[in-house]
Amino acid sequence: MVKTAPLEAKDETLVAHAVAGDRHAFATLLDRHYMLIYKIAYQWCGNQNDAEDITQDVCLKLSKAINSFDNRAKFTSWLYRIVLNMVRDMQRASARRNKRHADLMQISEGNSPASQEDAIATKELWAMVKTLPEKQCDAVLLVYASELNHAEAAKIMQVKESTVSWYIMEAKKSLKGLLKNE
Amino acid sequence: MNKKTKNLDKLKNIKTPAPSKARRAASIEAAMLAFDIEQQKSQNKNNSRDHLKNFQGNTITRRLMSIFNNPKRTWIMDMRIPVGAVMVGMVILPAAWYLNNNYSEQKIQDSPAQEYSSGGSPNAKKNEHTRIENDSINSGQTDINASSKTIIGEVTSEQYSAPAPNVVVKKMPSTSPRMAQESVAVQGFAEDSTYLVDERHFPQPIPSTQDGDRFSDFENSPLFTTAQNPVSTFSIDVDTASYSYVRRQLEDGFLPNENSVRIEEMINYFSYDYKAPSDESAPFSQSVAVYPTPWNEATKLLHIGIKGFTPEAAEIKPSNLVLLIDTSGSMSAADKLPLLKRSFALLLNQLNENDTISIVAYAGSAGVVLKPTAANKKTTILGALDRLQAGGSTAGGEGIELAYQLAKENASNDVNSRVILATDGDFNVGISTDAELKKFIEKKRNDNIFLSVLGFGTGNYNDALMQSLAQNGNGNAYYIDNFLEAQKVLGQEVQGTLTTIAKDVKIQVEFNPATVAEYRLVGYETRALKREDFNNDKVDAGDIGAGHTVTAIYEITPVGSSAVMTNPLRYESETKVEFSGNDDEYAFLKLRYKLPNEDKSKLIEQPVPVSLAVDDIAKVDAEFRFGAAVAAFAQKLRYGSNTNAMTYAEVKQLGEGARGADKFGYRAEFISLVDLARSLSDE
Repeated sequence: MVKTAPLEAKDETLVAHAVAGDRHAFATLLDRHYMLIYKIAYQWCGNQNDAEDITQDVCLKLSKAINSFDNRAKFTSWLYRIVLNMVRDMQRASARRNKRHADLMQISEGNSPASQEDAIATKELWAMVKTLPEKQCDAVLLVYASELNHAEAAKIMQVKESTVSWYIMEAKKSLKGLLKNE
Repeated sequence: MNKKTKNLDKLKNIKTPAPSKARRAASIEAAMLAFDIEQQKSQNKNNSRDHLKNFQGNTITRRLMSIFNNPKRTWIMDMRIPVGAVMVGMVILPAAWYLNNNYSEQKIQDSPAQEYSSGGSPNAKKNEHTRIENDSINSGQTDINASSKTIIGEVTSEQYSAPAPNVVVKKMPSTSPRMAQESVAVQGFAEDSTYLVDERHFPQPIPSTQDGDRFSDFENSPLFTTAQNPVSTFSIDVDTASYSYVRRQLEDGFLPNENSVRIEEMINYFSYDYKAPSDESAPFSQSVAVYPTPWNEATKLLHIGIKGFTPEAAEIKPSNLVLLIDTSGSMSAADKLPLLKRSFALLLNQLNENDTISIVAYAGSAGVVLKPTAANKKTTILGALDRLQAGGSTAGGEGIELAYQLAKENASNDVNSRVILATDGDFNVGISTDAELKKFIEKKRNDNIFLSVLGFGTGNYNDALMQSLAQNGNGNAYYIDNFLEAQKVLGQEVQGTLTTIAKDVKIQVEFNPATVAEYRLVGYETRALKREDFNNDKVDAGDIGAGHTVTAIYEITPVGSSAVMTNPLRYESETKVEFSGNDDEYAFLKLRYKLPNEDKSKLIEQPVPVSLAVDDIAKVDAEFRFGAAVAAFAQKLRYGSNTNAMTYAEVKQLGEGARGADKFGYRAEFISLVDLARSLSDE
């Protein structure tokens, strides 16, 4: 009675099969979304090592969490939420050791090649976005870095669409303030 | 500087460095391992559900002892399975770990450049991930995992404490020491993504299908030649259980078992906006349409829609409800007893001080949990519901007797008396054979006590028995797969569920051989009646609730159509009876029903003129088109994709074009189910 889900099956179908015990379906899901998980993690934490740690944690977590996927949101939206939660968990753990700001400053030195002026500007902006309150930071990164529309971002953040727009407005205001202080 | 802030768009230029391939393989590998353990755990849980949970204790030994010491438990019941599963679990899990770790040790020796960190205890993280974050400490798995964990610990620490001589120990650069520890646990399996498809090293978990669910086998409705069998008789059916069960299967990623697909229940799940009864002379009105079959150009559909009237709130008699609740061990799953409690809380909101509720629980011994209580005493009722706990075996028969007894004590002509049975479908003590139960329910029918059967859960679901109870007990059957479905049955459509406006509703259609060569009733296989049963008031049939709609669809092949399947008989002309010669009617429709408290049936008659037929399906009302789409979908699921000339895409298109107001979104959900079915099928 169980059919193995085809490789090109939709995420939601693969999840259903994985929940029923089909390990190929689960493997396909991981394979398909590894890069997305990693990319989200990187955009939020800004360094490769942490991003890979988080990605691994998310993969492990999925083995159990997959059972609680309820089809109410798109699989990728659901995945976003899991990754973001994991990022927060990690950041909270490390915040106990060093203050968040110091941690975030690591971004500006470091990982990606900083050859062009534009890239530097991007990085500066990125670092500043990370100093914003959590929700504003999430909203900005979802909309501008992940290039999702407000509706999708709202689903992931589990708030209303108008709230996302409001977060972004607030973020823009505080960014202006931050830049003036410089 | 301001330029920068305006241009948040720049953030999309963040360059993500390529992830390490080794880390990727390691992470996926670790996740697969965790997945396998997770599956093993849930499989063990499935096997031991209902049994081990009933016994408290700290060790497996004590638990097994208590099973053996219980004289009431006989070996006839499947006690051997959980014990066996425990044993298998105890052996397979550690064995798999052992194999796996041995293999990875070998890999470390094979690849000299293998990295691995020396910080922390190497197996700490692995154990952390195998840790049972599970809430159910009361089942046997805890012990299984505990024992396997110990062995894992031994194997891995041995492996890491005696590294092979050619392993290069290299500390991984990492900002967080915690993370470094975590990653080491999986280093051993790194750099070989072929593990993904290599299953030698894992116990292959058996997918947990809903194979334990029981359905009765039934034949597909046959094609009749009008000349030989001009009369078709059947009982209406307002059950919807089949649709919600099928929905659950599809949402879980399975094409449903064909016997779980009852086409008429799929169609009748939806409420159709047929013409409402214009006066109160009859409790319902019927609408008829004839239009081309969407899956066969050469035939037509004769679509009969029945809509029951909705009495004014003031006219509805108070309800005398007895909730008969299965609290056997198997009901402890989240989608059973907990969902049931929330569902009944919904029902409570629909009742008032004139209604009474009593609760009978059955499991081990049947008992009255709540004596008849006015429905506005919510705290008392909810408190009683809340105290219900799953445990023990299922004395359904006894429970049913008690429930009917309680219902009868409070029954009168001024109230609607109804027993609502909520169960996953097992009766194994008391009146235990299905036939005996049926007889009992049939007897109770005469006391004007109605029955509703609410099915819950999968894996153990006894659809066959539920159907037979509901059909024999003036009842209706629903399958509650989630809270939304509870809301539909016990919230929005509660009047239909609780208030019967006409009972023993039968339909008889006489086809005109001058215009119809062949016909086939779509669905209703389990509801067929003999021709003479139509006029026999002693023969039971389905009931219509307030506001219910019932749909019956015939596929008819007009005389002269290319789709006629049977050849004329060689000797027919000699024996041929002269037909009335009337060729402006397709058929003659007759309906019989009884009012809820009456024993004598009433008759409604109506011809189906040929002039009613339209030449394009687009010309009929959306309500009819949607019904046709559901019929097509159900037939594809039941008969297999290939027997129906419509593709899932076409079914979807037909359904989408007929969504109507769709106030509660059920039709939109149907369309997504069609998509799901398509992705699961070969289409």
